Formats: sequence, C-alpha cells, structure tokens
Amino acid sequence: MFVRIFLYKIKELTRMRSIVGWNFLFPLVLATAFYVGFGNLIKEDPDTFKTIDVGYVNTNSQDSPFSELLEELSKETDEHIQVLNVQSFKDEKSASKAMDDKKISGFYLENGDKINTVIKENGLASTTLNQIVRAYENAKFQLEEITTNHPEKIEQAIKLQSKDLNLMKEHSFGNNTSRYLQYFFALIAMSSLFSSWISTSMLNGICANISEGGKRFECAPANKLVAVAAGTLAGMLIQSVSNAIVVIYIQYVLNINIGIPLGETILITTIGSGIGIAAGTLIGSLLPNPKYHVVVPLLFSMTCSFFSGLMWDQIKQLIQYKCPIINKINPAALITDSLFIRATYGRTDTYIQNIIIMLSMIVGCLFISSICLRRRKYVSL
Amino acid sequence: MSDNIISISNLVKRYGDNVAVDHFNLEVKNGEILGLLGPNGSGKTTTINCLLSLLKYDRGDIQIFGKPMAPDAYDIKSQIGVVMQNVAVIDTLNVYENVDFFCGLYIKDKNLRKKYVEEALEFTGLTDYKKYKPKKLSGGLLRRLNIACGIAHKPKLILFDEPTVAVDPQSRNAILEGIKKMNRDGATIVYTSHYMEEVEELCTRVVIMDHGKNVASGTSSELKSSLINRETIRIGLPNKSPEIIADLKEINHVYKVLEDGNDVVIKCDGGEHNLVHVLSYLSDNNIPFGHVTTELPTLNDVFLEITGKELRD
Repeated sequence: MFVRIFLYKIKELTRMRSIVGWNFLFPLVLATAFYVGFGNLIKEDPDTFKTIDVGYVNTNSQDSPFSELLEELSKETDEHIQVLNVQSFKDEKSASKAMDDKKISGFYLENGDKINTVIKENGLASTTLNQIVRAYENAKFQLEEITTNHPEKIEQAIKLQSKDLNLMKEHSFGNNTSRYLQYFFALIAMSSLFSSWISTSMLNGICANISEGGKRFECAPANKLVAVAAGTLAGMLIQSVSNAIVVIYIQYVLNINIGIPLGETILITTIGSGIGIAAGTLIGSLLPNPKYHVVVPLLFSMTCSFFSGLMWDQIKQLIQYKCPIINKINPAALITDSLFIRATYGRTDTYIQNIIIMLSMIVGCLFISSICLRRRKYVSL
Repeated sequence: MSDNIISISNLVKRYGDNVAVDHFNLEVKNGEILGLLGPNGSGKTTTINCLLSLLKYDRGDIQIFGKPMAPDAYDIKSQIGVVMQNVAVIDTLNVYENVDFFCGLYIKDKNLRKKYVEEALEFTGLTDYKKYKPKKLSGGLLRRLNIACGIAHKPKLILFDEPTVAVDPQSRNAILEGIKKMNRDGATIVYTSHYMEEVEELCTRVVIMDHGKNVASGTSSELKSSLINRETIRIGLPNKSPEIIADLKEINHVYKVLEDGNDVVIKCDGGEHNLVHVLSYLSDNNIPFGHVTTELPTLNDVFLEITGKELRD
C-alpha cells in the first residue's frame, strides 16, 4: 500500500503544472536573475578565497616538515578546498621569474632553519602565505620547547598541534565567503520552503474534510497515516530533486562556486526540503479549507525567505543583532545559515546545531500533523 | 446474520442547534435498490457520511453487514463502493490510472486489480478513453469515470449520491442501465437523487427523508397509493356552467372539480374507469368538449405532497 501510494503521489505531484512551474522552473529563473545581477560580483569578490599558486624553493639537501605541510594544504578534501597549489623550483632566481610572470603569487624560500616568504603584492594571498609560515614556526617552536623541557608531554603536544593545523584549514581557508552568495543561499532556502504547498496538495487527496477525493480515500480500507507518510516522502523526494537541480545549475551551469562539496550541499538542501514538506503538512492539517492551501504556504515561504536575506542580504544580520531567536526558528534562516557556515567555516558546532534544529523541526511538525490527521471522523464535512 | 445489509437505528446528528438527522431509522435488505429521496438539506448526504463513518454523530447505531461501522472497520469498508455527489477523481492522472489508483486501495493482487480495472472501464464505456486526463472528458464521461473509480473493486454495497447530476440523457441512461446490471450481479444499492423518474425506474423501495426524518417509505406503487388524488382528468369545456360542474362532482370517485380558463380539472380518489364515466356524462347531455388528457400520480406528486411545495435552500 505504502509503495503504491508513494508512486502514485510522485506521478500526481510531478504532473501538477503549479509544482513544475514554482518548484522546478521558478528557482532556476530566479537563480539566473541573481546571476545576471551579482554573478560577476561573486566571481570577482576580493573576499572570495581562491587557491593560491605558490612556489617552493628548498636549498637544504633533505626534505623538511614544512614541505609536508605544503603538501597537505595542496589537497582538496571534504573538509576544505585546495588552499595552495605548490610548484617546486630549483633556485630563487627561477621562482622570482615565475612570480614576475604572475605564474605564482609568491614563493617560500627554505634555507637552513629559516623560511622566507617572498611576495610581490599585498592582499589576501600574501596574508595567507605569511600566516601559514607563522603557524608552522609557532608549532615548531612549541614542540622544540616541550621536547627539551617536558619530554613526557610530547605526544599530547603533537595532538594539539595537529588539531591547530586542522582549525587553520577549516577556519582560515574554509571556502567561498562572498556576501553576494547569501542571495543564492536564500534562493535555495526559498526553493526548499516552496515544498510546503506540495504537502498541502498531497493532503488534498487523502483527507475527507479537505476534498471529495479525500472522502473517497477515507471510505477505502487504507490506513490514513501510512498514506500521509507515503505522500510526505514523495513530496520530499520531489523537492530534494528540485533543490539538487538548482544547486547543480548554480554550481556548474552558472559556474558559481558555492564552496561546499556537492554531496553535502544536497544533504543540507534535502533537510531544507524536509522542513518545507513538514511545515506544509502541518499547515494542511491545521487549515483544512483548500482555499488556504496555496496562500498560506506561499506567505510562509516568502516571509521566511525575506527574513533570511532573499531581498536584502543584511536583514539576517540585523535580526541576529536585535532578536537572534528569530533566526533560530526561521527555517529559511537556518538553511541559509547552515550553507553559509559550512561554506565559510566548515563543520562547526553552530553548523551541527543548525542541522539538529532543522531535523527537530521536521520531527516536531510531522508529529503535530500526525496527531491532527489521525482523526477519521469529522464534526462536519 | 440477518438479511439486512444496512441497519441504522435512531441516528441523530446535530450541527449546533440545527438537527440534520433526527432519530432516523433505515434498513436496507440484501439485493435491493433503495432510493433515498429528500429535498435539499433534508439530511440525505449527512446520513450517508455518517453511514460511511466519515461524520461523528450524536446518537444512534449503524451496522453494515451485521457489524458496527467504524473508521477502521476495514473489513466492512473493503466491501463498500461509494460514488460521490461531486466528481472525486485526480486531475493529473489519466482515466486508467485513476481507476487503478482507487481500485488499488481495495485490491492488492496486481493481476486481479488489472482485470477489475479493465472490467470497470468496459462497464462504464471508458475503454477508449483510458489515456485521457479527466479535464479532457465531457461531463457525462467524467461522471462515468467517477462511477468506475467507485465500483471497480466489485463491492457488495454501493452508495450512489446523486450520480446523474448535470448529465445528458444518453449518459444518464447508460448510468442507470449500469446500476441495474450491478444490482443483477448481486450488489445492494443505495441511491439518492432528486430525479423522481430515475428513482421510480430504478428502485425497488423508496425512503423519503425530510428534516432529517424518515417521513415515508415503501415501494413506488405503495407510496402512490397513499395519495388521495389517484387520477387527474383535464377537459376543454368552452360552454361550462355551474350546473355542469355540480353534475361532474356527483360522478363516482370524483372528489374535486376545478376551473382553469376554458378547461375543467377533475380529480378522482380511486376507481378504474373515471374517464369513461366523465365522457359518458358529457356525451349523454350533448355537452361539447375539446381536448381530453388524463394523468396518473407520479412519485413526484408523492414527494411534493409529503415534503410540501415551498422552495428549500
């Protein structure tokens, strides 16, 4: 029964023109409009982190721990994008030539115990290159001190240093930090919440107090909550696919780097879809009159999206300053916040907290809805 | 188990101060076609909703197939088919998918369901429209789809709530023939309608509801025989006089004579040859007369006499 209803709900919902238009096409159109408006600003934003091309000259006869650090920072992982693109040079002269030819932003010259950072222009790249050397030297100094004075604590110190290095990768070199990217995050949040009217449409054919079709359904020997669960899952799948299309379109067609590994972006937007679907189910269960089934979800989606920065990117910061609790209960703000934090700082505690709040909201909305929808006999029809 | 498919006793349903169903009793026997009649707001649809356990009711007992009806009485529900007053189909699914979806709520076996769906489409004459979306169907075809969705699983009890509203005569005829066939195949049917001629043609027994009560029940003939007026004779009498009118009133079984322009309307309360008696009187007395018509009472007359002629909301 569950599978049959699930499959039929997928068929039914994907053939609804309003859903194809608003949930699939409209976000793509809006993304294109944002791209026309801010696409170049994002790509050229000085705050946007780009992999730094850097040279490395080691005049010593053997490899150093610093070269290992550079190698680590040259990798792209789920945790961070590629921070450095390291090219080795035989000598300072050839490295300087490459820097003059703008093939590299600067280079490291390791000579004996000393590491010099040679750069041509000031900016984010030079700050980052200097910061790497500073962090490395601090770590090295501390380890030498501990080795000399407290050899028993060397293992603990190595662990701490390794954690520091991870923090440096996650926090300093997270990903894309352009303020204009907020608009795309808010767009993804809006798209997720649009799924709320998928739910109300889905309930339309299941509840006798909403439609004649619902009456027919409730006359059948079918478990209503199983049907609602199948419909909810179908709606969530549809919206998750729609969100994935939007994300792929932004990332690969519009060529805007969201700054989060694709799989994780889709995971966050899928949770976002879940919030939209759960909120829509709650709206449908509390307001059985079908005339509210588009208006209320639309108002809900647009209000939440507005306060998450869809039309003015600073509004979320303003709310955070004046009344931060709103950002913690606004599902659109939670989605944009999760995307922003993940893109900028990696998987921080706040990011995890946001994900937990969103999952709790889904469970809470579905729980209340199930209580309202359990009813099989109505006072009036 | 008794012979009753449906037993409703003392059903009461209130909407605030308004009593929609007032101590209503009904029994439907196996194999019959019961016509449930009543003016708008008489409580027919409310009664059906209570019967299907969709509506909470204040008092009373409802049993179907000898068991108490409840929202989770799936064994009872699996044997009931419902054809709603308004078309209840899914706009985005085509004809086949609609019937298959609703049939699938009752029939789990895939092959059996396929067979039933094909049979329902054939039965309602929709086989050629399998791939059509409901919006592409005419009003009559849509009503037939509504029926196909309600009966595809071959229920033992079928509730039709005004299935022929806004349907052309051809489609209506097809629907009524279909209902008769379903009944011949063993289904018990409860049929509500405002069309008296349909009920008269179709139903083996009729219950008239008004103000939530069962105000009359019986076969069509039994109900008609309960009327005082059994025959109405209309005759064109250009030279009528008070004497002629007085003489007509003296004829056996004539209980009322009314003047209507050049016509005289004679109402009889029984007898078998009233027209012959009236025409014999006119001819014996050389009274010239024009057109002559005679009407026997219909279920509509019964309905209007019982429920009154004033307009309802």
